[in-house]
Amino acid sequence: MAKLSDIQNVFIRQEIEEYLERPEEISRNIELFSRAKVSMQEIAAALIEGEDDKVDQLTRNALDQGIEALEIMDDGLISGMGIVGIKFREAMIFVPEVLACARAMKAGMKHIEPILSDSGVEPIAKVLMGTVKGDLHDIGKNLCIMMLRGSGFDVVDLGVDTSEDEFIDAIETHQASILGMSALLTTTMPNMGKTIEALIDADMRDDVAIMVGGAPVTQEFSDDMGADGYGKDALSCVTLAKKLVAEIVQ
Amino acid sequence: MPKIDPKEIQKRMDRITHMFEDMVTHADKVSLTRCPYRNRKDHCTAEFRCRNQKLSKDLGNDSIFCLHDGTFDYSKAWENNPLVYKKVKARVQNIRAEGKKRRAKIARKRED
Repeated sequence: MAKLSDIQNVFIRQEIEEYLERPEEISRNIELFSRAKVSMQEIAAALIEGEDDKVDQLTRNALDQGIEALEIMDDGLISGMGIVGIKFREAMIFVPEVLACARAMKAGMKHIEPILSDSGVEPIAKVLMGTVKGDLHDIGKNLCIMMLRGSGFDVVDLGVDTSEDEFIDAIETHQASILGMSALLTTTMPNMGKTIEALIDADMRDDVAIMVGGAPVTQEFSDDMGADGYGKDALSCVTLAKKLVAEIVQ
Repeated sequence: MPKIDPKEIQKRMDRITHMFEDMVTHADKVSLTRCPYRNRKDHCTAEFRCRNQKLSKDLGNDSIFCLHDGTFDYSKAWENNPLVYKKVKARVQNIRAEGKKRRAKIARKRED
C-alpha cells in the first residue's frame, strides 16, 4: 500500500494532507499520485493552482518526451481536476478558482486534442459563446463553456460585452455551427434579439443554430427572439447543444 | 503521432463530463448564498460594479473585496420584476417586427 511520502511532489502531498478528509479519497489519491511520474504530478499541481501557462508548457514538454496522451490525461489533468472537485465540494475553493482550473485543463487539452483528432475523435461541433453587448457578467457563460468543452465541443469564447458585429465576424472567422448568447440583465437581454436580427440582415441566420441563456431569459423570450433553443443552466446547455447538432446533421 | 483507441478516449471524456457536472451542480447550490464572483480570498472577480465591493485602498492592498455577509439568496437578485419583464418582452417583439419591416422595405426597393 502506498504512503503519502511516496508522492514526490511536495505541493500534491500538502494538498492531500490539508484538504482531503474522507479516508477513501485520501487512499485513492495517494495510490494514484504515488504511481504517477513526477512530471505528471507537476501538471496536476499546476492545474490545481489554476496556472494555465504552466500546464500548457508542462503538457507540451511531456508529449515531447514521449509520454502518452492518455497518461497525461489520467495522471496529470484528470487527477488534478479530481482534487479541485473535492476542494470545491468542501468549500475550500469557489467558482472563480474552479474556472481558473478549468482554463488550465483546457491549456493542457489543447496539446492533446490533435492526437485525439488523429485517432478519429473529432470535436462534436464548434460553438461560439459570448455575453451580449452591455453585459459584463460571465460566470454563467464560463460554466457553460467548461461543460461544453468537457463534453467534447470545441468552444470559442468571445468574452463579455460582445456586439452584433463581433458575433457576425466570429461566425465568419470560425465557421461555427452553434452560437450561444448569454445575458444576465433584463436590460441587455434584448441585445440577443438584435444580434439575431443582424444575422438575418447579413443573410447568415441559417449558418448557425442559436442558443440563448442567462438568469432573466426564459423559453418564451427565446421564442420571441427567434432563437433555436434555450438552456436554463450549464447542464441543459450541453443537452441543448447536442440536440441542435443532431438537428443540423439531419 | 501514436493513435489512441477512441473507446479509451471516450472513457476519459465521460469522466471529465461527470466531474464537471458535479461541479456545475454544486456551483448552482453555492451561488444561492454566496456570489459566484467571490473567490476564496473574498476578492470580487467581477468586471462590473456592485454595491458590495469594497475598494482596496481602505483595506491596504490592490484587490476589490466582497463585503457581503453572504446571507441572501443570490438568485433572488436575478428574478424578474413582472413590470420590467413586460417592458422587455415588448421591446424584444418590437426588435423582431422592426427587422421584418426593414427587410421588407429593402426587398421592395430591390424589386423597384
